Amino acid sequence: MTQLILKRLGIGLVTVLAVSLIIFFGTKILPGDAAQIRLGQSATPENVAAFRARLGLDQPYIVQYLAWLKNFIQGDLGTSLASDVPISSLIADRYHNTVIVSLLTAAIGVPISLGLGILAAMYPGTVYDRFLTLISVSLVAAPEFFTATLLVIFFVFVLDIGNAIVVGSTEGKGLFELIDHFALPITTLCFVIASQLIRMSRAAVLNVMSSPYIEMAILKGVSRRRIIFRHALLNAIGPIVNVVALNLAYLVTGVIVVEVYFGYNGLATLIVQGVQTRDYVLIQGLGMIFCLTYVILMLIADIAAYASNARLRHPK
Amino acid sequence: MFKRNNPVFEMLSPADRELYMSMVKKGASRREFMGYLMAAGATAAASSTMFSSISDAWAATPKRGGRIVMAADQHGPNDTLDPALFTSAADYFRGRMYYGSLTRLTKNLGYEPELAEEILSNDAATEWTFKIRKGVEFHDGKTLTADDVIYTMNRHMGADSISNASSMVAMVDRWEKVNDYEVKAVLSSPNADLPIALGTFHFKIVQEGTTDFTTAVGTGPYKVKEFKPGVRAVGARFDNYWGEGGYLDEIEHFGIGDPVARLNAFLAGDVDGMVNLPPKAIAQVEAAAGKEIWSLESSAFINIACRKDMDPSGNHDLIMAMKYLMDRKRLVKGVYKGQASIGNDHPIGPAYFDHSPDIPQREMDPEKAKYHFDKSGIGNTRIPITAAEVAPGTIDQCLFLQREAAKIGLNIDVNKVTTDGYWGSVWLKDPMCVVAWNMRPTANLMMTLAFKSDAAWNETYHQDPEFDKILVEVRGVTDAAKRKEMYHVLQEKIHNENGSIIPLYRNYVDAVSSRVKGLTHVPLNNFGGAESPVTMWVDDA
Repeated sequence: MTQLILKRLGIGLVTVLAVSLIIFFGTKILPGDAAQIRLGQSATPENVAAFRARLGLDQPYIVQYLAWLKNFIQGDLGTSLASDVPISSLIADRYHNTVIVSLLTAAIGVPISLGLGILAAMYPGTVYDRFLTLISVSLVAAPEFFTATLLVIFFVFVLDIGNAIVVGSTEGKGLFELIDHFALPITTLCFVIASQLIRMSRAAVLNVMSSPYIEMAILKGVSRRRIIFRHALLNAIGPIVNVVALNLAYLVTGVIVVEVYFGYNGLATLIVQGVQTRDYVLIQGLGMIFCLTYVILMLIADIAAYASNARLRHPK
Repeated sequence: MFKRNNPVFEMLSPADRELYMSMVKKGASRREFMGYLMAAGATAAASSTMFSSISDAWAATPKRGGRIVMAADQHGPNDTLDPALFTSAADYFRGRMYYGSLTRLTKNLGYEPELAEEILSNDAATEWTFKIRKGVEFHDGKTLTADDVIYTMNRHMGADSISNASSMVAMVDRWEKVNDYEVKAVLSSPNADLPIALGTFHFKIVQEGTTDFTTAVGTGPYKVKEFKPGVRAVGARFDNYWGEGGYLDEIEHFGIGDPVARLNAFLAGDVDGMVNLPPKAIAQVEAAAGKEIWSLESSAFINIACRKDMDPSGNHDLIMAMKYLMDRKRLVKGVYKGQASIGNDHPIGPAYFDHSPDIPQREMDPEKAKYHFDKSGIGNTRIPITAAEVAPGTIDQCLFLQREAAKIGLNIDVNKVTTDGYWGSVWLKDPMCVVAWNMRPTANLMMTLAFKSDAAWNETYHQDPEFDKILVEVRGVTDAAKRKEMYHVLQEKIHNENGSIIPLYRNYVDAVSSRVKGLTHVPLNNFGGAESPVTMWVDDA
């Protein structure tokens, strides 16, 4: 077990390093640099050159990269090229928004979806199962902005409750105030992750249900509910945890459309702004955070799958 | 807005005015008020009229208190509080909240004194003296002196300046301190419009020695309560503000990049104002209760810039053919829903003081276009235009042109690219590309920036020594008729000879809740030329 974790961590480290290199040179391929973008339409060759020198963009790429790497290893994310503000403070302002929204979405969305999915697996082929399948397949097909638009029209303009965007700050708010604050983004994201989670948990449980040992249990006369919770679910945990981990990673890194639509600041918007301003220091810092999030979540999923599966724990 | 010039009210002595106003302010009813006046010998009718007129005057008098939320469009980690580095409408608006400048621009693009209480120049307009207002306080309590002004101005000077506006004061040779409350600008060539340039966004006065712009210590009506780049800025009223204005308790300001989200937020009442109302939403806002369009008739414009130094984009007959193929009316009506005026292939639209109304309007004329097209010898060669949606209609103008051109056999390719990185990688490089220009305070400045042969942003690379000569000469001309004639020639030259196709002058179209009063109308940028933070107040009665 320890060996597995260490091996995974080693691979994770290599991945992070490789990603940082790819991101760095990726940003250099983009047309224009931070100095040019910052001066915008009003840039003259003279003040672009002056700005480049000030930002250190006149150094060779490899020197820039190594300087960044050295700082990063020491835990310093550096200073933004686009605004002279420390990257850590730019990220801090948005990190808590992203964390709050992801955690609340996960806390609300994951149990409900898994419950619905398992329920569907308990009664496959019934009206309930078909209805749920119809809903979840439609939701998979609907893009986020469409779901968000429907929610805004219904709650804000028809029922006249809540705000069309997230307004104000989260400071000093309790759990329920936070849910209220981010109500529409959380609801939208719950729909987005629910569809996938429902489909996957239903499929995972049904898959196990068709295995011989379950048939044996059925023949023994064990009740369906007992079969699922006692015998089937444990074996289905591996794939389910994997899907949950992937969805959590998506919530941290990929909710740009929801952030833009509801006008609140999260990490996904920040990285897009970083690309638009060619701020490679910011892009690098966020890239590392995203990469680490994936690596850690995948590691947890693997460990969970491993721990729940006796065959993996005790290989012949 | 102000109804104080009501004759009944105006007839009163200042002392009476003050007294009656304070009665209304304290909430006197019509009955109480009339009782008071009639006891003093006035007739009932006169007393009643007086009450109405004073109530009206009171309703138009800025009230203190309240809070508003204003939504810009783009914001991000590159938001800055360093005036020299301002680039966006959001920067300009924040700049006005927190800082002051030597002069303040007016609706018709004149100037009035602000931090400079007196502005004098010699006859040749080569030396300008600014007398600094006494008793102006920075947010940290320090008093404004000449040193702060000199420090601010020197940040825009010199070849290694990182200022975005250094070109506007390029003719200033040096700034000199005369005494603690007087500074002098010595110019290398005359400029009668220097005080106007100094009223624009980038010349906000910062404190001497400031190098850290994570916060703003200015002389503006609001001080920084919160500033997080790309998140939000909050200004709280500065109690020791020297002048009139700064009526609100707080202004919150942030960007909502997505136009639909911004409109939703505005219609739902989450924000009190929004910039850049999409033309399609104009009718919706007009129909909504308690919402108003805040439109500024401006001479900002969109255009297609054709490089004269390249082939075939420099082919004069090709350019003329394209000018005659532009369906200007349809763009104004269809794309801008009337919030623009028809362009005439020169940058000096009707909102400029020096606009010449005597140049005949160029209309769409396929026959003349065909004539020039045949003469150009272009034939089947495909003409590429690079286009990005840098302002509403910049892509549409190309598509309209493409359609009309196809009818006479001219093949135009419209290559759509993203706005991201557009100014660095396309503009001034590609042979034909779309551009969007903001309005500048003076015609001379606009033409010097983008139409003079040696201008860094001469996007058409058109060379015309005679044009340059007149442009420099007219800066020193004080005779009105002569000046008018010279500006006419300049505009006519661009209209006929330049490679810039200018289909329309666009308004700045924002929207605002009816509770917000004291709006400004300086046509240089959104939210009333970003001058509104000083004068805005709310009427929640």
